[in-house]
Amino acid sequence: MIEVKDLVRQFKSGDRTIKPVNGVSFELEKGSLSSIVGKSGSGKSTLLSLLGALDKPTSGDVVVDGVSLAGLPDGKLTEYRRRDIGFVFQQFNLIPNLSAVDNVMLPMEFAGIRKAARLKRAKELLEQVQLDPEKHPRRTNRLSGGEQQRVAIARALANEPKLILADEPTGNLDEQTGEHIIELLSSLSRDHNTTILVVTHDRSLAQKTERCFRLQQGRLTEEVRSGSRR
Amino acid sequence: MSVLARSVGNAFRNKIRTAAVVAVLAVAIGLALSMLVANQAVGSKVQELNASVGTTLTVNPAGGQGFEGGGEPLTTTEAQTAASVANVTSVVGTKALRLQTATTGTTSTTGTTGTTQQTGQGGGFGPGGQQASVSTNLTAAIDAGTLGNRNNSSGTTGTSGTTGTNGTTTQPARALPITATGIGAEVDSTGKALNITSGTGLGDYTTAGDKALVGTSLATKNNLSVGSTFTIQDKTFTVAGIFDAGTAFGNNAVYVTLPEAQTLAATPDELSTMIVTVNSMENVDSTKTAVQNALGADKADVTQGQRNLETAVSSLDSVKNISLVAFIAALATAGIIILLIMVMLVRERRREIGVLKAIGAPNRTIGLQFVLESLVLVAMGSVVGAVIASFASGGIASALISSNTSTTAATTTQRGGGLAGAVPNGAVPGGGGFGGGGQGGPFGGASQLLTSVTASVSPGVLAAGIAAVFAVAIIGALVPALLTARIRPIEVLRGE
Ligand SMILES: Nc1ncnc2c1ncn2[C@@H]1O[C@H](COP(=O)(O)OP(=O)(O)OP(=O)(O)O)[C@@H](O)[C@H]1O
Ligand SMILES: [Mg+2]
Repeated sequence: MIEVKDLVRQFKSGDRTIKPVNGVSFELEKGSLSSIVGKSGSGKSTLLSLLGALDKPTSGDVVVDGVSLAGLPDGKLTEYRRRDIGFVFQQFNLIPNLSAVDNVMLPMEFAGIRKAARLKRAKELLEQVQLDPEKHPRRTNRLSGGEQQRVAIARALANEPKLILADEPTGNLDEQTGEHIIELLSSLSRDHNTTILVVTHDRSLAQKTERCFRLQQGRLTEEVRSGSRR
Repeated sequence: MSVLARSVGNAFRNKIRTAAVVAVLAVAIGLALSMLVANQAVGSKVQELNASVGTTLTVNPAGGQGFEGGGEPLTTTEAQTAASVANVTSVVGTKALRLQTATTGTTSTTGTTGTTQQTGQGGGFGPGGQQASVSTNLTAAIDAGTLGNRNNSSGTTGTSGTTGTNGTTTQPARALPITATGIGAEVDSTGKALNITSGTGLGDYTTAGDKALVGTSLATKNNLSVGSTFTIQDKTFTVAGIFDAGTAFGNNAVYVTLPEAQTLAATPDELSTMIVTVNSMENVDSTKTAVQNALGADKADVTQGQRNLETAVSSLDSVKNISLVAFIAALATAGIIILLIMVMLVRERRREIGVLKAIGAPNRTIGLQFVLESLVLVAMGSVVGAVIASFASGGIASALISSNTSTTAATTTQRGGGLAGAVPNGAVPGGGGFGGGGQGGPFGGASQLLTSVTASVSPGVLAAGIAAVFAVAIIGALVPALLTARIRPIEVLRGE
């Protein structure tokens, strides 16, 4: 379970300070599927990178299963990212000169999984995101935007993380493939008890999540829905 | 895909740049290795020079180096006087004889009469008058080529009268004479310890005896081995040992005990030269003056192999220093190149480091990846550089040495006179008979040593040089990579 406590992140640009995240507090149940919506530039990516320990808050704290990220040294944060987090970047951030399979295998390599097991799982994951691991160019920078996005999702799932943070995971996908990715994520939360938080502009995706938050002027508010679903 | 595979792949990510980096590294590393090799070659040569003639003084009869000859021969009294000078560790007297091959010698009338005349004339014979000529059944191991002819003709013009006839009528362009030297200790005519390759030494060098040491080439030429016999002036000598002087002329020689040579020359007590050994390099200068004073300027000339050699050694030393500086500079260049390249590569791939870090790569994995990548580059540079060095180092070493010592070598050979200059390691002590001066020995040898320095690659040297570059490469890769990895991933990912 994730507890976010009065999180603030401010940036100085010139003589102005902006606070895209300004006192955000919420909790996510284990195995829940939630979404964050908001205008472009409202600070969704900023919030997500604070949860994923890619950035440090100006103040406030994120507590994961009782462990406060604020108190962790760099090495422990790296371990947290490796073991507990699957992060899908808005810009994908694949290693351009490696193949799709190699990219997906990377987090497993860092986790010390043996090579044969890594390869097998990487191929399975690519198939799950509807990519054929056999027939792809050797470099991911030759892939299309949607293909790269799916490799990024497969990589995020590699180490079976407790928490998946996905920044616009369907932004580059056609409707049908997007549907498939949403289905994949909800099945993970349902069957593997994985906590999932997606940032999206996609109404239909937001509709399908159990909870939906809106980020506005640095504050997070939960959208109240009529019938909740699962 | 492992860290290693990723690193190797990254090293070749931009092939043109990789080729350029490897080429530049190879030149710098090749130069560094060449310099190290040159440094070592020069260093060992300096040691060799110091060891060979470092602390000896040579004493000749006064005027013995001039064309006119003259002066009184040295005797055992002078040897005792020299030995009593402070800092002198030993005085070894030598008595040089010129052996003429009897087959030609006896057919001419000069055979025995020549000997009588010459010994009778003592100091008056030839320049320096230090070499009595006696007959032998040995044949010289060196054929008289152009050099021999020149020697003979120079002998003819240089000396007149008695030997003039002898030289022109009975020995037109034939073998060079053999040098027989009576020695007071087991050293050669320049004071170096004899290198006896088979048999034994002469044992007691202070009494007359019919044992002799024969040079390798002379032994081969005359089919002599340990136990064989030959004659000098009708006396039968047994070969006690064969020595190797290292040069053709040095090996065309016979050594007997000092008293024996004095008997053969019928000049008991007389010495051609004395080799005075001084206890340390620092004392050579002062001891030279002291010996000169003790013996008297009208009686003996004390010369110092050291003086010229010091110049040679100090110029070699400066070459050694230059090559060391150049080695360090070239190595530093290689280091700076790999350092800059790695800093550049890390900068270029900052974002990638951020990604690796964001998906959970520990700092050590990131550091290792870049270290391996830089090692791949340096390894390729080293291999190519070692190939360059193996071709270039010999040339560089001898170029350095010859350009820095040519003046010294010129002075040296000049002093040695015509022959000694031309003859490598002119092992003709006091070479009076050849119309030249007396100091051919050590200086001819030195000039040859200086010019023939050849560099050799020892595995230790190579390993040390390459290890240093690798160390720089590791640091050059590790430091910027770790500095980047320490930054929060989001800052790196967001880019500049
Ligand atoms: N390092 C930074 N320095 C200064 N300002 C920053 C920095 N990072 C983010 N910002 C600002 O914070 C605000 C929020 O950015 P963020 O990327 O979180 O928006 P977003 O909600 O993800 O937008 P989008 O939907 O377009 O992805 C933006 O105005 C951005 O300019
Ligand atoms: Mg964003």
